[in-house]
This record gives sequence, structure tokens and C-alpha cells, in this order.
Amino acid sequence: MSSVFDRLQKQLEIQKREEGISALDLADLPPEMRRIMRLMLREVVMKYTDLCKAVEAMPAAQRLSRNELDSALKTLVEQNWLLRFGQAEMVSYKVNLRRKAGSQLGKDIWSALDSRIGADKENKSTP
Amino acid sequence: MSIIVSIHSFRGGTGKSNVTANLAAQAALAGKRVGIIDTDINSPGIHVPFGLDERSMGRTLNEYLRAECNIEDVAFPVGENVGSEPGRQKLAGKTIWLVPSSIKSTEISQVLRDGYDVGRLNEGMQSLLKKFKLDFMFIDTHPGLNEETLLSIAVSDILILILRPDQQDFQGTAVTIDVSRGLDVPSLYLVVNKALTNRYDPANIRKQVEQTFGAPVAGVLPLSEDLVDLGSKDIFSLREPDHPWSKELRKIAQVVLGI
Repeated sequence: MSSVFDRLQKQLEIQKREEGISALDLADLPPEMRRIMRLMLREVVMKYTDLCKAVEAMPAAQRLSRNELDSALKTLVEQNWLLRFGQAEMVSYKVNLRRKAGSQLGKDIWSALDSRIGADKENKSTP
Repeated sequence: MSIIVSIHSFRGGTGKSNVTANLAAQAALAGKRVGIIDTDINSPGIHVPFGLDERSMGRTLNEYLRAECNIEDVAFPVGENVGSEPGRQKLAGKTIWLVPSSIKSTEISQVLRDGYDVGRLNEGMQSLLKKFKLDFMFIDTHPGLNEETLLSIAVSDILILILRPDQQDFQGTAVTIDVSRGLDVPSLYLVVNKALTNRYDPANIRKQVEQTFGAPVAGVLPLSEDLVDLGSKDIFSLREPDHPWSKELRKIAQVVLGI
């Protein structure tokens, strides 16, 4: 059985995810932040040191200075759009994508739909 | 390096899934390691030309999104299950995997009702690329602009937008191009499908579309009764390689994928 701490931790995690970034928000980001987010989406989880290397490998016109990179990462983490893990050399980042919301239709409609689908299937399988 | 190719259209019925299946099949035929993922969770369809139906479909993307299994568990090895259709048989032994979306009505309604973890979808796509060492991953998207489509566009190296020569498609495509440019997709191509090439010169269609959208047209596919007649039961360009539709499709594969 999970402890109160575990349950609270889980609740906090769910809340964090709900506050994440949507794909549409990505289009509204400043170009340098968008470049970081695109890179992160492809790598899923990236150590800070690897992120620095990837940024250095970008074409000159798109390259961010270390200060620009650090500033962009700080903002993205503050917005809860990037999640930061680990300490010192092992600091890593991961994009916090917002969960796709379910339908706003009342629960009764969905249970009625489920029962209808179930009944239809039963009728079809009855010879 | 793995290349992610998203195939999208603003409206339904453009032939998106058919073009995706054929491009992926051509890539596999050329010896590439290919993955296809059906992110059209609301109205899946790309499993049909690969010979799957509700009964024969094994595990699906829906199960992965519900965290019931790993992404590789739901990847169907097409090259090991080609069946009896002559087109698909040419894929025997080829390295091509399909991640289908469930066609069960209860599972589709569950996604609509509960939503899903978009982060997990992205992690699955990236994991598939690495685990199967894919050269290309094709993402068949849901038409219009929505969460999963925008994510697919955001992670893509190449975006192919399919449109018909129709005013409704033209206006919607303009919107999609604006959003795609906002997401910095490195390469964007347009493909005109269902064009009346016996009445209008394909070169003129290409020129007009390129001028309208300021984006390159990779090909103009003719409206084909033969394709309609096949009813998606096979991979058309493999089954009828000398057909004008198949020849144009191969040109698109050459322009977009370099194969």
C-alpha cells in the first residue's frame, strides 16, 4: 500500500505535468528557446554538458552563447516547460509536455456510449 | 542519422495514409530500416494497406499510451507478415515496422474521453528510432491541427503536406504552413494528390501551388480509378509499379527521401 508521502508525491507530479507545455505553445516561443526545445524533444533527456555540445554544433547563425543558453534554460525551467534533474555535472533536462485533455462531455454520455457499443457487439455476435 | 518524416493534411480524404504507406514501402524496398507510426488515434487507417484488421491487429499504440507495455511490443513486423497480396509480398524480409492505432470503438472512445500522455507518445517515437535503428520513421497524423499533429511536426526533420487541387484544401494548407514554419521544421514539401492530370498540365499545377504557398512541390499525383478500385487492400506502388501514380510516387520518394 502506498504511503501518504507517495500519494502526495504522485499528486504533485500529476499537477506538474498538467502545467507543462503544449505543442502549440512551442510555436510561440522565442527562436532560441524553440531551438532548445526541439533538440530536447528529439533527445528526450539530455545532460547539460551534452546540451552545450549540441548547441556548439549548431550552425553559426543559430548558435547560442553559454549565457544565452543558461538564461533560456532558467526561463524554461521556471515556466515548468523543462524539468531539471540531478546535481552539478549530472544535471539533465527533459521537456514537460502537457497531457492531452480528455473530452469535456459529461461522464454519463461516455458510459452510455460504452454500453451502446457493448450491446451492439453482443447483438452482432448472437446468431 | 534517423530521419522523422511527418505526413499531414489539413483536411481528411486527401489520401494521406495511402501516400505514407507507399513512401514507407518504397524506403523499405530500397533497403532502409523503416518505422511507421499511426498517430491518427481518432480515425486510424494506415494498418489497412498493410493487411491488418481488428481481428489480426495485435497490440496497439493505445496500449503503449496507457503504459501497459513498451513501444517495441506494439511494433508489427510487416516484412515477416506480408500475406498474399502481390504488392505487400515484395516487402518479405524487409525491415519495416508498423505501430498501429487501435480500431476498436471502445479504445477510440477511451482516448477521446480520457486524453493521453503526449510526453509518453514522444518518448515512444524516439525510443522506436533508437531501438530499431531506423533510417526513417514515418508519422501518419490526424488531419487538421491538434496536439498530436503539432507534436509530430515539432519533432520532424521533414514535413510532407498533402493537398488536393481544391479551394478548401488550399486555405487549410496555408494555415498549416504558417504553423509549421513557426515550429522551425527543417524541410517542408507539398504533394498534390488526386489531380486531374488528363485535363490540366501537372507542370502548371506544380507551378501554381509553389507560387501560392512559397514551398516546393515534391510531386503531383494523378486521380486514379485504379487506386480507388484497389480500396487500400495492398500497397499500390508495389503492386502496380509501372502505373503513372506509382512512377510519380517514386519521384516523390527520390526528392524527399533521397532514395
